[in-house]
Amino acid sequence: MAEFTDLSRVRFIVMREMRRPVMALIVVYAVSVLGMVFIPGNEIDGKVQYLSIFHAFYFMSYTATTTGFGEIPFEFNDAQRLWAMACLYVSVITWFYAVGSIVRLFQNRFFLRAVAERHFSRQVHRISAPYFIICGFGDTGSVLARGLSDYGVPAVFIDTDEERIRALSFRDYRVPMPGLCADASAPKYLLEAGIRRDNCQAIVAITNNEEINLRISALARLLNPNIRIITMSKVDVFEETLANLGGEVHIVDPFKMFAKFFVSTMTHPRFYALNDWLVRAPRVYLKDSIEPPVGKWIVCGHGRMGHEINRALIKQGMKTVVIDPHDNKDTGADNYIVGRATAKTLAMAGIDDAVGILVGTDDDGYNLSILLNARKLNANVFMLVRQNRHENRIAFEASQIDMIMQPTLVTARRVLFLLVAPLLKPFFQYLLENAPGRKEEMDAVIEQLAQKIGQRQPHLITVNVTKARCSAVVACLEQGGRVLLGDVMTHPDNINRPLDLVAFVVKSAETVYVLPPDDYEIKAGDQILFCGTGAARRLLNATLNNEYNLFYVCNGVHLPKGYFMQWYANRHNRPAL
Amino acid sequence: MNFEKVVFGFFIVLSLTLNFGFFLGDIDNVAHHNVFELFAIIVVNFIATGLKLGDRSQVGAVLLATSLVADLHLIAAATYWTVVVHVTETGLTPDVMASIISLSGGALLANFISVIILVSDTLMSRL
Repeated sequence: MAEFTDLSRVRFIVMREMRRPVMALIVVYAVSVLGMVFIPGNEIDGKVQYLSIFHAFYFMSYTATTTGFGEIPFEFNDAQRLWAMACLYVSVITWFYAVGSIVRLFQNRFFLRAVAERHFSRQVHRISAPYFIICGFGDTGSVLARGLSDYGVPAVFIDTDEERIRALSFRDYRVPMPGLCADASAPKYLLEAGIRRDNCQAIVAITNNEEINLRISALARLLNPNIRIITMSKVDVFEETLANLGGEVHIVDPFKMFAKFFVSTMTHPRFYALNDWLVRAPRVYLKDSIEPPVGKWIVCGHGRMGHEINRALIKQGMKTVVIDPHDNKDTGADNYIVGRATAKTLAMAGIDDAVGILVGTDDDGYNLSILLNARKLNANVFMLVRQNRHENRIAFEASQIDMIMQPTLVTARRVLFLLVAPLLKPFFQYLLENAPGRKEEMDAVIEQLAQKIGQRQPHLITVNVTKARCSAVVACLEQGGRVLLGDVMTHPDNINRPLDLVAFVVKSAETVYVLPPDDYEIKAGDQILFCGTGAARRLLNATLNNEYNLFYVCNGVHLPKGYFMQWYANRHNRPAL
Repeated sequence: MNFEKVVFGFFIVLSLTLNFGFFLGDIDNVAHHNVFELFAIIVVNFIATGLKLGDRSQVGAVLLATSLVADLHLIAAATYWTVVVHVTETGLTPDVMASIISLSGGALLANFISVIILVSDTLMSRL
């Protein structure tokens, strides 16, 4: 629908703008050609020569465009030359006018917009694989795009900033990532991005403006009642509204998310490294463990981050001292110091006997200076710092901080997981649950991952057992066969060699099995989350879609492929070779 | 070990090597090319094609296509040979021989592609 309106709009603008120049050219050509035809030329063999219409048009064609091949087919007389001169000046000027109109057309903002929109909606329609709509291509969007490209999932971007969209088109993504400069809260553009298409899986609203994110989410729900919605929101009021939109809505609040993570690391010291390793953060070792110390904490800056972490720390039964320029009484902290965090206020807060410090203002330079001050006063203090801007990375990395929190990165990684590995959420929930034996289970998972993947890059592999994605498995199940999870995780060449894969979660109907056993029977419609290497991912896909490979990994023997071999096997009363 | 792979691999490689032997020599010299060798290539190649009938995998389909191409070339070469010797009785003149050998050269290329596919398929799953 959107496509047609666009095409007619482009066509309309071209026609309206070009109408006058084309008319002028036609009239000038017609008059000039007629004049050339009717002027009698020189006498040859006693006969007056006239130009034919063809010759006159030929002559005008090269004269009007200032090419000038000369007087063809015979030499002109002065009367003809006089007319030719008049024609030349008039027609050349008319051409300039026409060319000028074309140039003006290409500078017309509305025309360029219409062309860009049309180009965009064509690109979107060309995506046949499942894809996502992402509104906002800032720091978060850019990290997200890179992650999606690594996973080979296409996405469509809408951003109001033209520069950002231009930047998008210069990136070297492995999958198509079309972008449109537009206001995503206008329904027209969401339709152009294909929100009603069957292969559009989710819409992500991560613009800088919370209100716009809310508006996009509401609109998306109205336009497509079944689509998954993922929104970034840091304001509680909006979150209430979002939760009531209906359907599947995920709200990503980077500060709350991080506070939750932070609390988890206190009880599960190895969780932080596991999460960082799964998102392929640089310089992370899977087996690292970070444990925030127990004792007195100093919270510098009681903004959104300070607020969440302070609450989390108090919930864990720790003492906190807050330093913030704004007076705020109900923080629950043991001590509240009004003022900027300087060496003096830090000393007042008792940095000497503090175990940890959170530096969480929204100014990177200020954060770094607090950090240096604090370190001078107490070199052993545990440091948790908020990094606001991506370009300050080098400065933060150089200062050897125990834990860096980047809101954009936290959001982008969270959204990426929700998009490419939705089952990771129940997996983490399971691991972090306060139940006996969970800690040992997490250690076992980490050990297994380290052994199978080691230094290689981890891939999260989500497998949907459907006809389109696992043709061989579904065909086998339809024929009444059994496919065990452990079987598909073996090498299609050698059944005794396991693939470098760890099965995290199986979701069957509404039941979720975390760390499923090898003898789990795969059912049609299951969703399975694996973690493995890139090579294992390719081999797994081959097994799931190739009936011969699947038969081999399930039975340990090869299915005869050709008719001759099938006959031969039957003759020897063997189903396989 | 996959028995079917051994059998098919044997026939397709044999077809390639025989074909190479037949192709070797001056292109228009009858003495350099043996009619029984051509016969053997055709038989072996037909068997290789027959073994691939019924394979529903992607690689199987491509291998069937390449060996069918080789069959086509070889049948054309054999038919031409028969016609000039027995029908028109013009004999194996150098230009006729050159045509036959160039046809077998086409079949050689098709067999070569089959072998490449077979080998790369085997190596791919080694990853």
